[in-house]
Amino acid sequence: MKSFMNGLKEMLSGIWGFIRKLWRHPKGRIGLIIVILLVVCALFAPWIAPYDPYDVTQRAQKGLSPSFQHLLGTTITTGQDIFSMLIYGTRVSLTIGVVTGVSLAFLGALMGICAGYIGGFADTLIMRIVDVLLVIPTLPLTIVLTNLFGRSYLMIILIFTLFGWTGLARVIRSLVLVLKNANYVKAAELAGASRWHIMMKHILPGTSHLLIMSTALTSAGIMVAEAGLSFLGLGDPTAISWGKMLAEAQSGGALLFGHWWWIIAPGIGIFLAVFSFMRIGLVMEEVFNPKMKQSSNIYKLFKNLNNTYIEEVFSSMSEAQILGVGGEQS
Amino acid sequence: MQKGYVFKRILYAIFIFFIVMTLNFFIPRIGVTDPAERYYPPQGNMSEIEYDIIKQVTREQYGFDVSTFQQYLNYVEKLSRFDLGTSFKSGSPKVSDLIAQRLPWTLVLSVTNLIICLSIGISLGSIAAWKRGRWQDTALLNASTISTALPGFFIALILSFYLGFELELFPAYTNPNMISQFDWSFEAIKVVIANAALPIISMSIGGIISYAQGTRNSVIAVTNEDFILTARSKGLSQRQVLYKHTLRNAMLPIVTSIGMSISGLIGGAVIIEQIFNWNGMGTLFLEANSTNDYPLMMGVMLFMSSFAIVANLVTELCYSLLDPRVTVGERR
Repeated sequence: MKSFMNGLKEMLSGIWGFIRKLWRHPKGRIGLIIVILLVVCALFAPWIAPYDPYDVTQRAQKGLSPSFQHLLGTTITTGQDIFSMLIYGTRVSLTIGVVTGVSLAFLGALMGICAGYIGGFADTLIMRIVDVLLVIPTLPLTIVLTNLFGRSYLMIILIFTLFGWTGLARVIRSLVLVLKNANYVKAAELAGASRWHIMMKHILPGTSHLLIMSTALTSAGIMVAEAGLSFLGLGDPTAISWGKMLAEAQSGGALLFGHWWWIIAPGIGIFLAVFSFMRIGLVMEEVFNPKMKQSSNIYKLFKNLNNTYIEEVFSSMSEAQILGVGGEQS
Repeated sequence: MQKGYVFKRILYAIFIFFIVMTLNFFIPRIGVTDPAERYYPPQGNMSEIEYDIIKQVTREQYGFDVSTFQQYLNYVEKLSRFDLGTSFKSGSPKVSDLIAQRLPWTLVLSVTNLIICLSIGISLGSIAAWKRGRWQDTALLNASTISTALPGFFIALILSFYLGFELELFPAYTNPNMISQFDWSFEAIKVVIANAALPIISMSIGGIISYAQGTRNSVIAVTNEDFILTARSKGLSQRQVLYKHTLRNAMLPIVTSIGMSISGLIGGAVIIEQIFNWNGMGTLFLEANSTNDYPLMMGVMLFMSSFAIVANLVTELCYSLLDPRVTVGERR
């Protein structure tokens, strides 16, 4: 228990360190400010939103243009206040994005470290699973599974997690393959430390910066994926989300009647959320890896996290990181 | 390239296909003891006896009245004849026929999109790398930051609003008669081009920018290599260095990403097809999903996955042909 508390303390101070580094970086500061704004919106939605977005009984208020009463107008079909819907939509996007991002990081790290460090049969097995998951199209698979197991958000998070870890696991694995030969790992092995101990105490810290970076980027990717799923009408049917707002705008005649604000509003919501998380991820890349500055390989990681071979992209990067890690440890 | 390597890769692809096929067989069977319950879920107003009869009929119709292992063998045997089963649609058409019907229409969109992305993206990327640090480069960097944060379907909605409804340049929804009345006449082809314009533009914006960014990074990485310095010091002209040494080597990572794009050619545009009401594989899959048409859904999934397996295999073989540095046989 005590060691757990200590670990928690270490983690918190680590996160605090990240936030401070981010704040000092001009680009990171923009991302951080937007994220904080979004979090405030999500937490205090009932107090910020001027109307009840679930209220579909306002027949007199249908299809209003933006005004001071309704900042972004109301929907044509049911007269819901679009600005309030936008604020409530933050909750879904952020929750799904961050929860999936964090759990993906855990699963990806576990799989990548097992494959890289233990090697042998575990490696073969995990890489075979990765190869299989890579060829199955992600969106159709998600749709089939939500069809089978229901569309609650918990289910969607679970499906995204179980099928999205492959890209990260590959990257972590190739990094671990290099870390494995570091002197401090060899020393621990000679001293008779158990495999589990080495994996947790020596290998995991070496990958932590990559994990935190990828959490920010996968969160952004998952937000886009969730918006797409909700847009197809396959998200949680009870909640208000930005993707669903776009779908309602399309089917409710926003295009036909020229209500462009009804389409732009959720789009800007998605853009801000994804943009800020990406910004944070990119700045972390620059902070950890000054050699890679400006050449943003990370775009590729972000674009293709679910269905690609990233090893090649990252081979140069991991070498650069090893230098940094080795310096810290010795 | 050694024959052994090719043979090994092909065997491995077949192995992956086998696993995907098996998963495909078992996914609809998860969570139910009797697959007939999945194919025909109980309705509210049905008595137990009625439902038992319906289940019995369903079992006989879809061959569920034998053991699961025998069902699996039958499934494999049918697949070897390219028989993916029959859909629930009226007239129970064959799944393979439905796929054959829709496939060309998806390929029209995705292949055109890929060609546009490659040609424009690679040229823009080379320009940005050439003018490194100047405004062209900065513009590309900003564009790629923005376009990665904007989902493709949002761009599609905006385009359909502005170009389709406001300016009325292109039809905002595909005319459903387009496909049934298609007859290779000049008029029909013109209609297809007009209808395909918006989906293709909205798909290609993101693709162009990401290819441009990829090309730029890869060209710059190659420029820093030693052999470029060697080429320069040999006294080759700027042009020769660019075409013969830089671009050729910079193409390698791009080949990989082309491979990825090819494996996503069929399943990559589900949402775009839905927005523009384009009757391709994506809409076929969504129709199957909304009617719980499991044979059709799993058939489409298996087809998409097998396509991706073949595309990956071809990419890997091409890569080992192109890149002299890949040590064949010891890649993992």
